[in-house]
Amino acid sequence: MSNVIEEAGWKFHWRLTESAGIMVYLADYKGRRVLWEGSLPYVTVDHQRETLDVKDDPGERHGPWWVPLGTRTIQGPVRVQSFRGGVELSATFVAGPYQYTQLWRFHEDGRFAPWVTIYGPGVHDQHTYHPHFRFDFDLDGARDDAFERFEEGRWQRVEEEGWFPYSGEADDKGNVWRQVDFGSGAAINIRPHAWDDAEVFAIRYHDGEWAPFSPRAGAGTQPFPAAYVGNESLDGEDVTLWYVAHVHYDQSFPYTAGPWMRVEGLA
Amino acid sequence: MKKKAKAKAKPAPAAKTAKKPSAKREPNVAKADPALFDPLTPGEVADALRTLAEDKRLATMAKVGRYRVIAAEPLVVKPPHELAGHRLARIVAYDYAADHTVDACVDLDESVVVHLELNKSQPMLSRDEEAMAIDIALSDPRVSEKLHMGEAPQATMHYWGRTPGDLSYARRSAAVVFGRTDGHASIVAVVDLLDLAVTQVVPAEQW
Repeated sequence: MSNVIEEAGWKFHWRLTESAGIMVYLADYKGRRVLWEGSLPYVTVDHQRETLDVKDDPGERHGPWWVPLGTRTIQGPVRVQSFRGGVELSATFVAGPYQYTQLWRFHEDGRFAPWVTIYGPGVHDQHTYHPHFRFDFDLDGARDDAFERFEEGRWQRVEEEGWFPYSGEADDKGNVWRQVDFGSGAAINIRPHAWDDAEVFAIRYHDGEWAPFSPRAGAGTQPFPAAYVGNESLDGEDVTLWYVAHVHYDQSFPYTAGPWMRVEGLA
Repeated sequence: MKKKAKAKAKPAPAAKTAKKPSAKREPNVAKADPALFDPLTPGEVADALRTLAEDKRLATMAKVGRYRVIAAEPLVVKPPHELAGHRLARIVAYDYAADHTVDACVDLDESVVVHLELNKSQPMLSRDEEAMAIDIALSDPRVSEKLHMGEAPQATMHYWGRTPGDLSYARRSAAVVFGRTDGHASIVAVVDLLDLAVTQVVPAEQW
């Protein structure tokens, strides 16, 4: 099966990684570069204990854990399927009581959806999933980017790296964050799932600062991607975005996490 | 895991008017060679590992030989970086003797190490380490005596402790989940991979 897909106005490449699911790279829309690479570096899981008595509640006693989504956990092949108005990739990963289906869906109207559907009971009910998506957009070139968030009723330019949670405020299309290219004026709009409790880390791109095959940066330090956040300027630079969802398990599972994204302004 | 946002924000013009003269137009990333992203061939992996093992900075590690290769994947850097267009391998290894991570980049076009970093981060477990954690857990009587008929290892989770009082907070560890094949988990055994010992056995419902 070819790893180059040309359909619905999109051309992109994909490969199965060792730990970050299906990576999509060098993605173009209508002949213009949109994405250098995007992946799902990890889904961490942490556990809570539930007690009615606050004084007896031990809180989170154990640390988080995760399992690589990739060649060692995939069940069956990566699937490529056309649907009305687009094309999608999907793959299922299983590790004991955890099961995930990663999706990349590309629509001819410029939307695309990097999602993960979470199944499986876990080791008990009181647990929360934290899927981490990473996107390195190169909209019409690597630099000349800006990152913006919608707050106080308008789009606000962000000057420095940071962590930007969804505050409940969005534009009239539901978009909360966007990456803008100065040169073309084109933008990638990001609309979170309403129940993702999502946040975005915006980080200046550095060569090789790729997912380090683990969320764990070291004892006593912030995990990735928070460990990448410093004080570097974003305005006019190459920006990397991490979209992180926080999904508590409940009886209504499976649940599909991840943002809607849309390319706009590419003439 | 959340950290306080420290970024500043200022009102932005609409996207369509967000134009600013480009101070430095770098080479076009749209011309990147897709083949650079291809998985490494077995020969490329061997080349990268040989090159790394022969690097003098890693002589002790190579001589002692107590390290595990965690990952060998292609790395592609963007122009204008001097290595843009080169076939690069990112190699991550864990050195048990020194208790640290080796994060390296090997230029396969030149067979040289172009980046080397030793740090205390904890990369994922290799498949061998996952299997070893299962073997260690299975051989511990505190685990075997708690297993019921039909229960077996379900998965090796990549785990780290939450507090400094937990051995797995700073040490390379795994958590082996045991249970039935229908997915029901029964116990979790935490394994210290430095001492090759089970440090905790916890009923799954109390995890």
